Amino acid sequence: MADTEVSLSPALHTLHLSPAHSSTSPATTFSCPSSPSSSSYSSCSESSSDYHHHHHHHHHRPRPPLQRPRLPPGSDLGSSPSASPRSSSPSGSVDSSSDSCPSPEDLPPDSDVVSPVIDPAVALRACQEVLLKVKLQSGEVPADYPGCTSPPPERSPEEEEQQEEESEEQQQEEEEEDQTTCLPSSPQEVVVTPSPSSSSSSSSKQSLLLRLFESKLFDVSMAISYMYKSKEPGVQAYLGNRLFGFPDDQVDFFLPQLLHMYVHMDPDLGDALQPYLVHRCGASVSFCLLSAWLLAACCSDSSLSAHRRSRGARLRRLILAPPLGHGPPDPGPSGPSGPQPRTHRRAHSGLGAEPDGPASRRSHQRSKSDTTAAGERPYEEAERVRPQRDFLRALVSIGRRLARLPSKEQRSARLSAELRLLNLSLPGRVWLPTAARPHHVVRLPPRQAVVLNSKDKAPYLLYVEVLDCEDLQTSALPLRIPETRLHHAHSAEELAPAGHAGSCSPGGQSSAPAGHAGSCSPGGLSSAPAVHAGSCSPGGLSSAAAVHAGSCSLGNLSAVVNYDDDDEAWATDDLGQLRVEGGSSDDLTSQFSVDSSTENAEPVYIAAGDIRRRLSESLARPPSSFRRDPEDPSALALKEPWAEKVRRIRESSPYGSLPTWRLLSVIVKCGDDLRQELVASQVLTQLQSIWALERVPLWVKPYKILVMSSDSGMIEPLVNAVSLHQVKKQSQLSLLDYFLQEHGSSSSEGFLSAQRNFVYSCAAYSLLCYLLQVKDRHNGNILLDSEGHLIHIDFGFILSSSPRNLGFETSAFKLTAEFVDVMGGALGDMFVYYKVLLLQGLLAARKHMDKILNIVEIMQQGSPLPCLQGPGSLRGLKERFLLSLTEEQLQLQVERMVEASLRSVTTRLYDGFQYLTNGIM
Amino acid sequence: MSQVEKKVGLLRRSSSSKKPLKEKVVLMYDEIFAKEDPSKHNPRFWDELFLMKVNLEYLESKLESVDGEEVQRIQDNINSLFHHCVQALGEEHQIKVVNALQTLCALFRGVHQKNKSSSGFDIINMLMGFDKAELRMKDLMESLDSLLCGDGSESLKSLCLKLLLCLVTVTDNISQNTILEYVMINSIFEAILQILSDVSSRGQHGYDAVVLLALLVNYRKYESVNPYIVKLSIVDDEPTLDGMGMVVHHALTEYSRQYKAKEEENQGGFFSTLTTMVGNMFIADADEKLSVQTNEAILLALYEAVHLNRNFITVLAQSHPEIDMGVTSITPSPTTPPTPLGTSPPSLDAMNNQEQLTLDPNLQTSNLLITFLKYASIVMQDTKEEHRLNSARLCLIILTCIAEDQYADSFLHDDNMNFRVNLHKMPMRHRKKGVDKNIPCRPLVCAVLDLMVEFIVTHMMKEFPMDLYMRCVQIIHKLICYQKKCRIRLHYTWRELWSALINLLKFLLSNETTLLAKHNIFHLALLVVNLFNMFITYGDTFLPTSNSYDELYYEVVRMHQVFDNLYCMVLRVSTNTGQWKEPASKVTHSLVNVRAIINHFNPKIESYAAVNHISQLSEEQVLEVVRTNYDTLTLKLQDGLDQFERYSEQPREAAFFKELVRSISLNVRRNVSLSTMSQDLLLKEFSTIS
Repeated sequence: MADTEVSLSPALHTLHLSPAHSSTSPATTFSCPSSPSSSSYSSCSESSSDYHHHHHHHHHRPRPPLQRPRLPPGSDLGSSPSASPRSSSPSGSVDSSSDSCPSPEDLPPDSDVVSPVIDPAVALRACQEVLLKVKLQSGEVPADYPGCTSPPPERSPEEEEQQEEESEEQQQEEEEEDQTTCLPSSPQEVVVTPSPSSSSSSSSKQSLLLRLFESKLFDVSMAISYMYKSKEPGVQAYLGNRLFGFPDDQVDFFLPQLLHMYVHMDPDLGDALQPYLVHRCGASVSFCLLSAWLLAACCSDSSLSAHRRSRGARLRRLILAPPLGHGPPDPGPSGPSGPQPRTHRRAHSGLGAEPDGPASRRSHQRSKSDTTAAGERPYEEAERVRPQRDFLRALVSIGRRLARLPSKEQRSARLSAELRLLNLSLPGRVWLPTAARPHHVVRLPPRQAVVLNSKDKAPYLLYVEVLDCEDLQTSALPLRIPETRLHHAHSAEELAPAGHAGSCSPGGQSSAPAGHAGSCSPGGLSSAPAVHAGSCSPGGLSSAAAVHAGSCSLGNLSAVVNYDDDDEAWATDDLGQLRVEGGSSDDLTSQFSVDSSTENAEPVYIAAGDIRRRLSESLARPPSSFRRDPEDPSALALKEPWAEKVRRIRESSPYGSLPTWRLLSVIVKCGDDLRQELVASQVLTQLQSIWALERVPLWVKPYKILVMSSDSGMIEPLVNAVSLHQVKKQSQLSLLDYFLQEHGSSSSEGFLSAQRNFVYSCAAYSLLCYLLQVKDRHNGNILLDSEGHLIHIDFGFILSSSPRNLGFETSAFKLTAEFVDVMGGALGDMFVYYKVLLLQGLLAARKHMDKILNIVEIMQQGSPLPCLQGPGSLRGLKERFLLSLTEEQLQLQVERMVEASLRSVTTRLYDGFQYLTNGIM
Repeated sequence: MSQVEKKVGLLRRSSSSKKPLKEKVVLMYDEIFAKEDPSKHNPRFWDELFLMKVNLEYLESKLESVDGEEVQRIQDNINSLFHHCVQALGEEHQIKVVNALQTLCALFRGVHQKNKSSSGFDIINMLMGFDKAELRMKDLMESLDSLLCGDGSESLKSLCLKLLLCLVTVTDNISQNTILEYVMINSIFEAILQILSDVSSRGQHGYDAVVLLALLVNYRKYESVNPYIVKLSIVDDEPTLDGMGMVVHHALTEYSRQYKAKEEENQGGFFSTLTTMVGNMFIADADEKLSVQTNEAILLALYEAVHLNRNFITVLAQSHPEIDMGVTSITPSPTTPPTPLGTSPPSLDAMNNQEQLTLDPNLQTSNLLITFLKYASIVMQDTKEEHRLNSARLCLIILTCIAEDQYADSFLHDDNMNFRVNLHKMPMRHRKKGVDKNIPCRPLVCAVLDLMVEFIVTHMMKEFPMDLYMRCVQIIHKLICYQKKCRIRLHYTWRELWSALINLLKFLLSNETTLLAKHNIFHLALLVVNLFNMFITYGDTFLPTSNSYDELYYEVVRMHQVFDNLYCMVLRVSTNTGQWKEPASKVTHSLVNVRAIINHFNPKIESYAAVNHISQLSEEQVLEVVRTNYDTLTLKLQDGLDQFERYSEQPREAAFFKELVRSISLNVRRNVSLSTMSQDLLLKEFSTIS
């Protein structure tokens, strides 16, 4: 707080001289609630600049302007980007905000519908309020917040600043670190009559509130919660500004809530949020797209009033609009995307914006974005978001087309055909929004994608090859490598050692780096050495050398032999390979004469019985792989260990040799509203962090949900996990036997750790199911991963919604006898531990229940989601935390729930759930 | 040039000669065929000439009628005409370009008709003059290249391709066409590729481009280095290869569709006639004669691509939704485009517009290989006619290449790529038709095997297509070798194959004398027996169930009579001296395991029947006997069962391809000339432009 340096940089001086140019419309001068208006510029810099700089100096993040600078053409402020807040911070924010005020002519072409970013009146009010609050801290104006109102005393700016400074000083000790941005003092505010309602009064309560806001403990979750609860535009505006101070990723988590509030709540709140949203959208394309999709979903609700809808649509248009209507695309006010504009443009030319001359046709580049037929584009999309939107639209429309095909077979075939086409016209700068690290999509291996099980909709699982990059927008695009290049890449020399490792490796058999070269690698066959190659051992049959033409390395081939691995594609080497199959048997096979009827070598005899036995032995499938099932193509694909799949696809990809290559997967859904899933996933994430905070070893696996509209989206698939249904259908075993088969005998390390994982996860999901009342828990919706974790998916029926014809499931959560068996039976230690975990988890969740409640609560506002219908949904959720119970009572309750769930399996008549939710002890 | 056309030309001329005045262009032609330089009196003679509508018939017949001495006399003028034609190609005025192209066409054809006997060098001399020939042809090829690659009119491009096709096919034997030497030096390969890679141009000119490429590749294939072969073998540009695949795909699909329509028509019945009537409303009138011959050129192109280009194999498997053929502008034959030039609708193409794929849920997803298999199943039904026989042979050669290719094998056996392939089956007395509704979705290799089995079963006739049978069995062998090597257990009903093969042996035995007069049946028998040996000794590596191994033994034992007879026969022949001694003795050796099986199990089965007092054992009982008696049976390991001779075009197939190319040339020539004649519309297009 101490230093009060800050002299204006030369650039700023020029800016100081220029407000006259930029602020052509006085109407917009107040557009930034927290910054001084440009018309008050001189006074600001003369009289109070010291204060301002002093004040702003404490920003951890410089306060970026709320609207990216829009310069009128020909403005002599052309140099303004250099004076963007980031580069000139800390003091820059003061000045840049001046030119960041949008003037009408700078607004997007359809600005007649777009209102000024922020209502000046509101902004002003907000400023005053904050000021007042500061004053109130010194206890000057006692009043009941927020009810009572009293007009603020009029005073001169100087006085006010005085006041403020004083109050700040008072606070300094407490909030030295957390001093935030948002207490601007605009010298102008005195001129404007403060709105009667707000600027009131407050009490110790309000002062407390502010102290809370300023405290270290104040986090995004609380900010959002208060934003939702407070009806005070001032508080809202304050909190809106406060958002700038939080790390991006923390705010990102609440994006659905923010946008939901924006659409469904008071315009005031929207105004408070808009600067932040617009700023972030300008800085990050992916944020921009996420927001746009969520808004699209929000706005499509039929129940939404036209007014609200148009509000959402307006924001959507605003953030999707090109950063500048004319001139070079502006990077946005500041932030990490500083160098964006230039590189961005370069990227576009890289995308293949060259004219369709013969030259460009001959050397085909990545085409810009021809993934979709140019459909209706209701408004000008910014070039920066278009490829990505086209890409995802194309994926969704594939899903829609697949849904029209009647059989799984047709869908599967069509899917790979569609993806192949998409591959050919894949835009350059696209990425999967569900992935964490920045990357560029380079290829969609067409034959890997599978159609998932669904009757009338056609969700599908897509594998995507990506190359990691530094930054989505600025990193250079990867060069396109034609598919056919692969054959050349794997040259003949490589073929010999690599052998047919790729092509022969079966789906399930993972670890063995199998290849024909090392012909004796362990596989199902090693026990029965095959001695087909005759002359290898004159003695005959007992030779241990497996010389079955070198190919005995693999035990299990009946399953998928996947031929995407085409490193052996070129056929000219066949002859050599057929003769020399397998390095070790080289010398032996070379003796063979091509002519089968000449017999210069000693004849070799084999027993027919051996052949028959080997056949049946090799057909006894190793347990870990699944059969191919045309009705359930996904089972096999999901069962294959992820690492194995990655290796396999990597080998078959022309990009596979690049160090930054990665494989991602995503489920594309269309016809489903994923917003509910999104809420569930948020709750899950919160629970995860709560349990981590409280050190309860409960294990959950939240997965990314991307809402793209009210009926389409993407889900991040869980790797190495198959549904219980698939496990049972394929293995024909009980769950416990399956565990034993997969992880080893009941006392083995593998089994025990799998069991432990099972308990951690089962307890966690039991709690989730209980709290959210997750319904529709059939075995297809419960997955089992390769480490034994149980994972619930598909939260289509939660809270107040339940599947229509099933009525409701009576138990609090799904706990079958089979689960208990895996945990070692109802009397086993692990089962006891399971119950202990339930209790601990519930206690932890109860302690932090606000974090969960606010997510749901906000989304409930005006939401059409069936799970949030009815007033009871939120209350019920609250009640299920059983606040009134003591720990002992809670333990009893857990016991009861477990028992009820168990019993409901056998009797199905139990109504303990009703009993519980009614809160009767 | 066929006589018919000449007559047509004459007829027209005579009809027009009723008018007292000759066309001006005819007068100008006459001037050229006079001694003097036509531009001597009229400096603008050449300019004017190319503004006139070409009278192809007259020009050609005029050239034709020039006899030996006259040639010397008018050579300068013809050289000059040629020179000005080439120059006119660079004109801005498109009418001139069109006329120049057509004049060139007439020049090439007329000169060749005349000089059927004379050498290629004379022709070159007459057209261009030896000293200028290289320069002229270079200019010509460059102009054509830039016309083909430029943004000019599509009909102009079409005309360029027609000219090239015309040039390539002026001689019956393409390798004797000396002018092509210049086409080799001045390659237009890139232009052809560009046409194929671009969606819209592919739709309009793809067929011609592919045929042209196939022919050019076959120019002096075996004697010299043909740059087109070299270039084709290294193309790796996806869209281009894909485009080529699409053109072939369309042509083959269209053929299949027409065949089906025809078949339905022949089947008669009220409903079918009704549907054909309706169907005919949508079919262009191109289906007059539905002969396989029309697709030999396309088939040849497919062969060259598969054989020469390793990357093309990937195209075979690239699936795309089947496109409704009723709307496309691709013609099945080069005869007549369905719509007049320049007015063809833009082609429907998957890449062109994704939305096009959307609407019909009944569209099957298909790929080039499936289309090809379906086509082959039609072509191979009837091999009596020579063109059909050639097509069937070419189909089998292509399949041989495919079966040898590792990558192709990999997707043929890919369990993730399952398709329902409806092969055409010949209606036969002893089997019902129309079971194909329930074909399961299987890996593609099953369709290939089905096709082979189908062929084996349906062609045991007096005119025994030995060559095709050999290829067929070899294809099966190659596929099984791959399965053995990669341990792929294909769920295929092997039993059908076994019984087909046994029946084949039976047929060979019962027609021994007639067949031996023409063929070496022992070679085929050896291949067949060795297929059984593959199953017997390596069955554990690729059979899908343990039961299938038992069934193999059951089938061998059940049909032991055939093997016994075969053994007797080959033993008899091999003990005699004669040309068949050696091959027959190979068969005797190869039969060792089969005989061991028969000799081992037959007594066991008989004793089982005796012990249990059953006269006729059921299949299950026999299988039981087989299962319990494996252990006492010893088999001999035979060498080299899983080795095969790789396909090579030269020298074995060279003669076949030579003949094939000759037949294609004749066909293309006939058809090209027709379409170039009627360019009224084209002219109309340009006259309105200018």
